[in-house]
Amino acid sequence: MLKFESPNVVRFAAILVAALLSGCGKSGSASDPNSKLKIQNSKLALPTQGCYTGAYIDFGDTEDGVTLEGIEKFEQMVGKHQAIVASSSYWGEQTFPNANVRLITRHGSIPLIFWSPWDRPYVEGRGPDKYSLTSIIAGDHDAYIDRWADSARDFGQPMIVSFANEMNGSWFPWSGVLSGGDKQIPDTKPPKFDGPETFKKAWRHVVERVRARHATNVQWVLHLMNYSMPQEEWNLAAQYYPGSDYCDWLGFSLYGSQFPSDGKWAPFFPLFDWPYTELTLLDPTKPIMVCEWGVGELPDLGDKAEWIRDGFRVMKDAKFPRLKAIVFWHERWQNSDGEDAGKYSNLRVNSTPESLEAYRQGVADPFYLSHPVLEKIEPAP
Amino acid sequence: MDGHGYFARTHTMIESGGKPQRFIFQDPQGRRWPRLRRVLAVWLLLVVAALVWFIWAILVRPELKLPRALRDMKGQLRAAIKSAAKAPGDRNALNWQKYYEQTPAAQERLARIRAQARKPKPQNGRIRLAFYVDWDPGSFASLEEHAAAITHVAPEWFTLDKTDSELTYDPDPKLATFAATRGISVMPLLDNLAGDEWQPEAVENLANGSADKRAAFIRELVGDVLRAKAGGVIINWEQVDPVYRDQYTALLQELADGLHDSGRELWFMIAIGEDFNTFDIEALADFVDRFVAVFYDENSDGDEPGPIAAKDWIEGWLGVIANFGDPEQWIGALGAYAFDWNTTRKKTETISFKDAMSRASYAGVDQSGDVTETAAPSYNAQFDFNDGDEEHTISFLDALSFYNARRLMLEAKFAGIGINRLGTEDPQIWDVLDARDATSKAAQKTLSALKATDTITHVGRGEIVSVDENRDDGSRVVSLDPGGWLSARYTRFPTYPILYHQGAGGDHEVAITFDDGPDPEWTPKILDILKTRGVKACFFLVGQNAEDYPGLVQRIVDEGHEIGNHTYTHANLALMSPFRMKLELNMTQRVIESITGRSITLFRPPYNADSTPGTIAELAPLKLAQDDLGYTVVLEKIDPQDWAQPGADEIVQRVKDLRSDGNIILLHDAGGDRSETVEALPRIIDYLEVRGDRIVPLSQLLNIPRDELMPLTQSGAQRVERMVAGTGFKLWHGIVELFWSFMIFATAVVVARTLLIAWLAKRHHHRAPAGIADPDNAAPVSVIIAAFNEGKVIGRTLRSVLDTDYTGAFELLVIDDGSHDDTVAEVECVAAADPRVRLLRQQNSGKSAALRLGLSQAEHDTIVFLDADTHFESGTLRALVRPLSNPLVGAVSGHARVGNLRTFVARCQSLEYICGFNLDRRAYTDWNCITVVPGAISAFRKSAIAAAGGLSHDTLAEDTDITLTLHRLGYRIEYAPDAVAWTEAPETFRTLAKQRFRWAFGTMQCLWKHRDLVFNPRFLALGWFSLPSVWFFQIALVALTPFVDAILLYSVLFGHATAIWFYLVIFFALDLFLASLACWMEGERLRQAFMIIPMRLAYRPLLAWVIWKSIFRALRGAIVGWGKLERTGTVGARGAADT
Repeated sequence: MLKFESPNVVRFAAILVAALLSGCGKSGSASDPNSKLKIQNSKLALPTQGCYTGAYIDFGDTEDGVTLEGIEKFEQMVGKHQAIVASSSYWGEQTFPNANVRLITRHGSIPLIFWSPWDRPYVEGRGPDKYSLTSIIAGDHDAYIDRWADSARDFGQPMIVSFANEMNGSWFPWSGVLSGGDKQIPDTKPPKFDGPETFKKAWRHVVERVRARHATNVQWVLHLMNYSMPQEEWNLAAQYYPGSDYCDWLGFSLYGSQFPSDGKWAPFFPLFDWPYTELTLLDPTKPIMVCEWGVGELPDLGDKAEWIRDGFRVMKDAKFPRLKAIVFWHERWQNSDGEDAGKYSNLRVNSTPESLEAYRQGVADPFYLSHPVLEKIEPAP
Repeated sequence: MDGHGYFARTHTMIESGGKPQRFIFQDPQGRRWPRLRRVLAVWLLLVVAALVWFIWAILVRPELKLPRALRDMKGQLRAAIKSAAKAPGDRNALNWQKYYEQTPAAQERLARIRAQARKPKPQNGRIRLAFYVDWDPGSFASLEEHAAAITHVAPEWFTLDKTDSELTYDPDPKLATFAATRGISVMPLLDNLAGDEWQPEAVENLANGSADKRAAFIRELVGDVLRAKAGGVIINWEQVDPVYRDQYTALLQELADGLHDSGRELWFMIAIGEDFNTFDIEALADFVDRFVAVFYDENSDGDEPGPIAAKDWIEGWLGVIANFGDPEQWIGALGAYAFDWNTTRKKTETISFKDAMSRASYAGVDQSGDVTETAAPSYNAQFDFNDGDEEHTISFLDALSFYNARRLMLEAKFAGIGINRLGTEDPQIWDVLDARDATSKAAQKTLSALKATDTITHVGRGEIVSVDENRDDGSRVVSLDPGGWLSARYTRFPTYPILYHQGAGGDHEVAITFDDGPDPEWTPKILDILKTRGVKACFFLVGQNAEDYPGLVQRIVDEGHEIGNHTYTHANLALMSPFRMKLELNMTQRVIESITGRSITLFRPPYNADSTPGTIAELAPLKLAQDDLGYTVVLEKIDPQDWAQPGADEIVQRVKDLRSDGNIILLHDAGGDRSETVEALPRIIDYLEVRGDRIVPLSQLLNIPRDELMPLTQSGAQRVERMVAGTGFKLWHGIVELFWSFMIFATAVVVARTLLIAWLAKRHHHRAPAGIADPDNAAPVSVIIAAFNEGKVIGRTLRSVLDTDYTGAFELLVIDDGSHDDTVAEVECVAAADPRVRLLRQQNSGKSAALRLGLSQAEHDTIVFLDADTHFESGTLRALVRPLSNPLVGAVSGHARVGNLRTFVARCQSLEYICGFNLDRRAYTDWNCITVVPGAISAFRKSAIAAAGGLSHDTLAEDTDITLTLHRLGYRIEYAPDAVAWTEAPETFRTLAKQRFRWAFGTMQCLWKHRDLVFNPRFLALGWFSLPSVWFFQIALVALTPFVDAILLYSVLFGHATAIWFYLVIFFALDLFLASLACWMEGERLRQAFMIIPMRLAYRPLLAWVIWKSIFRALRGAIVGWGKLERTGTVGARGAADT
């Protein structure tokens, strides 16, 4: 009598084993990769040592085309995970960047959102539009703000918002220059100026509304240009400071030479040192963030790789203990105006192998932190 | 079979006269067989009918209701109201003017350049450069068709990529070979495009790089060009920063030198538009062999819908170019394709002219008015349509726009034209090229007919496809405009075979599918993961696997996943007949219906589900599945080839790399070790979730309810077919289950019995025989030998008996059964010398009668039966009768051994006696359950035989019969292993078969006659152990051998083979173990035990045949021939045993 294997017995045993194994594996495989960010009512903790590093990664015309592929490619290129990933939310889109903040969070980064009150077409220098600061103050956009705030609250994870950035510049419609400028408000002593005052009102209006919707996961960064334009008393950072209660971070943009027509090369140190000091004077404790930093690849003017190296060296200097986050602006664009028409501004880290190497080496310093650390938000007093 | 028949060499039977005992199984009236035959016939008929019904149910086409969304596909496309939109005036038409300003300087240079020595000379005829891609089979097809009209072909072989300017080279041998045989010069492109992203840094950093870096690059590139036997290289660099134009010029100069030194050319593509100035064309003109001006993409990805290459736009730019270099240095690359702007989703797609035609045709774009036309001013055609709620605008270039553009190139005195690209063109551009005068009436007529071809066109997006093979010619009214420009008005769009694509879903919708399951090991693991992660997938099941593991199929459905058809045997559609395919799909359908109560409407063809059908032949099976059988075909674009086990990391990486190509992921849950897939799956899900994707079931991609994709079968038609098919599958499944259960049972029983026998035999071997009252029993003995024609052997037999050390008295009775040879003389010769020998004679009446006669004449109470050809040893008699000193013992079995070892058959039997019969008897003795005392050598108490009613003659195996009868009477049956007798075994298979048939039949008769003993509480060992053993091991199991062998063969052919070998080895090991044990106990050489293996193989068919023959004989009701013999052979000596 020949004996046979019995597939059924074997199968049964296999199923049994499989069930046991999968049972064992469950705890491992089921662990949520994002659990590290799942603390409700939390915010980005301030490191005692070091500074978060992040980037804006060429997210397209409206700066909101965030893709995982884009982030991962960048991280692979620079050899470091990004603690912060920056992108924009333009008011003209009338949306909350739900997909983006979730993607960034799931990826294990903190979203930094440039919430910019302007309308299509998003062209600089056009002056206030439908979403002017005054219309915000007038409450014309409260519905949108509330909707946006609700979405932010529902999202629930820590995020940092830079509303109406670089207001001390002259190009955005919400800039002080274009929103009343240096017009002195009567009977004010010390004198107050229309532009900055309008900005502050709008800022407080927006922050208050968002807070009223209990979007406590939002941290606010007051985001200036490193040097005001014009660099005049009425247009300095202090004029735009809405008060300690209205922001969590103080930040600025820092760009070296970007255009071939710039004609000269701007070394890193003065671009950073002065505005850092200026901001630290606004408030004794608030952390400082370089919300954008970058430089063009302009070999005729200067050495981009050296500039980047210099930047990483300067920013970790112990003289700047309140610097807690830096965000690189990784973008290449073709200019359309003036002498630079047709030419490119290449702010990408990989504009040349040398620049890329400089960035990789610089950011590799453990001082620059690759992963966000969260802490519980203190209950509001 | 253990019946050592008394009738080993006789063929007669004697019936005791007046009181006829019916022969067991005899059916005197002969009614049983006809009745049985009728019953069998009816049964057979029923089985055949059921089988036919079943097959019909499988073959009948399931009435699958195509989900509504799929039916509506056709209706979904419709012409947009605004389809009257003509191609708008081109917004970009005037941007050439900006560049025209530079002309004075250019004019000056012109004279100098014209004077240059190194000017490309017009070759034999003009240049026709065809752009080629290797991923579209249509590209090669077109190249083949029009090779004669092409002088140069430009494949995409070189890429300059990455920040540090890596050169990648990806040649295509098929194209190279073809081009070489057709005399076409290969001019591969060198672009800076990675995926769909331009890599300007790769070019900039090369140009700005060190001299060494540039030299290395040029060396590498020139080397590759030479190896490829290409005519040179065409540079196509885009989006680079004009700031470095001088550096580009220097780099290209070096490159040109390198190529020229090797006799190769440098061609350079100039983008027409804003980037015209990026490169220093004037400087390049000094060394670039050809400029290829790109006269298309006027409006493309990122632009609003508009002309692809408006005539006035081309004209304007030609005016600009006229200022750069010699026109003979220029080639005008013309577009031959279409753009589909999805203005709702803001996505653009480059499609072929034929795709554009099919879309227009199916959208029902109005052809009655003059709405879609290639006409002034742009001479580009355009139409709008809606796909569901998405708006599309298609702009296309046709043979007319081609003619006009080419005419412009000719007028500009360009060296030739480029065609972008092979495979997307209006096929009639080749007519334009061939025509001597394309504006002639005849040529216009040719151009106005739009002939449908076999080319597959694509409509829609996604990997869930349906086929429409209809094709229809179309027409356009071609006319000659003032100025000699050709224009056309489309009156009827042609239709080509269409592959509708659906299921693209949203940007972040993705589906996971598993092929080939279910599998008992991997499918549950995958289901566990999916359950934990809350992901719903689709399983394309292989019918036979579904049939094997219905529980898993049910679980898949219960847990909310979808299922589809993946054929019954995972067969390649390309290699099968339509009938087979229908059978494959229907069987799978019916199996799944019978398991889940749901029909399945999705189908994925095994093999190459990721390759979109490229030829009409590849469409045929899909069409059959769809039209004839009602399936929706699901392909996929994300195939990480997990089945090849590239490692979990690699599987995840491949999914990442391919994610942007499509939205249906293919994995496998069966067909091998899928541990890598199981490991990769959670990471794939993680990745997709981080990416922001939603993993959705296919029904969601199709936007239909799951129940519509897998409709419940309870309602609706074909209930009977489904029931029949379902019952058939369940029955078959039941039979298979039963078979395997039986196999497990049988295996277990065989192992148990083997061990028990071994243990008992061993115990017996070690112990002195129990219950022997007098070890020196010397009671008087009557030895009885029946002889029929035994002259040759009888003398030796008698002498072996007489030559004994037995101390008691004995007589030796030889009954001659009417021999015709010298048996009587031989016996008388011995008898003359020894008074203990007595000869009795009778007429030939059979051995049984002879024995009964001997029994009646025996003087002593101790009877020894002996075959005439069986030789005693000197101690045999003493050992044999010794147990009879115990009055409880009724019979003693001697130890028969095979004496003639001349043939294989005999040697087999020798071993069989040793390790089968004798070992069994040894084992059975202690428990007093020996089933047969062999007629060849046995001792009986005469009074016991008398008590049993004498030797019966209603079976062919009285030895078994009398043994069982003695058991009934409460006698002990002993085995005397020392009572060795050497018998003669059949020496050929033929005689062996005869002998075994008699044994088998006799055994069956006895088993039947004594069937009340089985499981009889009075006979513990006999009724519960040894008799059931005979029933099971000697009858049932042997009878089933042929079926088992058939299934074994099937299993070996269709999988499970390795496990079977494992069991086979175990089985032989058991046999070998028993044989060795027996040989050792009998003092035989252990080597002999190995004979058991060939013996088993040789005996299997023989024993099975014998058993079946016996069964049939028994069923037919006795044996006519024997019955007669039995009734005629009455002799006077009868009655002796009857008393």
